[in-house]
Amino acid sequence: MVQKARESCLICQIVANRVPSYKIYEDNLILAVLDVNGANPGHCFIIPKNHYPIIEQVPDAELANLFVVANKISSSIFENLKVQGTNIFVANGIPAGQTVAHFLINIIPRQENDGINLEWKPKQLTEEEMSTVELKLKESIQNIGVGKIENIEKPKTIPENVEPQQTQPISDDDEEDYIAKQMRRVP
Amino acid sequence: MPEEQPQQQAPQQQMSEEQVKALQEKIKNMSPEELKEFQKKQCIFCQIISGKVQSKKIYEDEEVIAILDVNPANPGHILIMPKEHYSIMPQIPDDEIGHIFMVAKSLSNASLRALEVQGSNIIVANGVAAGQRAQHFMVHLIPRKEKDNIGFQVPQKTLPEDELKKIAKVLSESLGKKEEEAEENLPPVPAIPKEKKVVEAEFEEPKKKKVVKETKKKKVVEEKNKGQKDKSNEKKQEGINLDDIAKVLGGN
Repeated sequence: MVQKARESCLICQIVANRVPSYKIYEDNLILAVLDVNGANPGHCFIIPKNHYPIIEQVPDAELANLFVVANKISSSIFENLKVQGTNIFVANGIPAGQTVAHFLINIIPRQENDGINLEWKPKQLTEEEMSTVELKLKESIQNIGVGKIENIEKPKTIPENVEPQQTQPISDDDEEDYIAKQMRRVP
Repeated sequence: MPEEQPQQQAPQQQMSEEQVKALQEKIKNMSPEELKEFQKKQCIFCQIISGKVQSKKIYEDEEVIAILDVNPANPGHILIMPKEHYSIMPQIPDDEIGHIFMVAKSLSNASLRALEVQGSNIIVANGVAAGQRAQHFMVHLIPRKEKDNIGFQVPQKTLPEDELKKIAKVLSESLGKKEEEAEENLPPVPAIPKEKKVVEAEFEEPKKKKVVKETKKKKVVEEKNKGQKDKSNEKKQEGINLDDIAKVLGGN
């Protein structure tokens, strides 16, 4: 199932239990842990156990389950941590604020005036600019298409007492190694 | 199920505090179906979906619609919505959640290819405190470039270990984990590296554009799970290369 654990990816190390974490959810393909430097108490990451740097690389079925789990955890945070809201936040690519080369979903519990800002000032685009963007995107999405899942395979819970070591480190090959090495330099 | 019959009320009129309370009470007691009907009538996005209000539609299928945000954070800012009216995320069935975010992924891919951007944010706001403004659940997809003046701020806080433990316990129990693994004596947990406490598109120095264009042996992610295929990966060859985007991640 879990085929790839990158030696030099911190997230993969967490998944493989080589680095300790505060786990709040786990199944065969997904792990959720608390962010120890969260923006608010309860800030957590939903992580695919397989190593995918960006969302475009996550297979549809896994992606679907990741967000289903995110939804459940968000609800659980509402119920259990007495927060006033949650943000589900994904940073995809460096300009978007991504800092680890392993796709993950942030769930950020929210209170009024908590110092977090995920809002934006609207940019003024001309009607023409809007239409150009519209056309480009329409064409692009038509070429790419959207997957369809007939039946989302329900995640399997991990039986107790089973060693979570289904991960076998594979030798990082050159390209991934490059990412990983660079990531390690991030302070 | 509701014991009270919700009576019709004209929402346009100024309501006294008591009326507001009464209305809130009624809403609280509505069945999910009644509530949905009630909210649908006042929902601008439901009118967009039904075509009564114009929009720039990017994508549509049976369950989902994606339109351009008229007040975009960046050009190409897309709203992805279920056609069904759900005001909050927990109301949405699992398969629809899955589908909505598959659409988001494909649209992210589409914008990387079409708009010369180098990333995207996917944002959901649940609750007013989180920035939810609409009564219709939606996912924001915001294409990102360096220096695009979007100043998202996700500060880092340090929580005492025992509080982290407490939270982890409460959440994991509510999510179905059994008590046993009392997380005593956990060794210190390292933090996920973050950009100096602010997630934003500002970089101090012009990034050395070492996008290593000479793709070293592009490795297409095979090893797909069983039968299921990832369409977007198959199309990798056109225009941009996702691996490049993933690779730039290293360039920080």
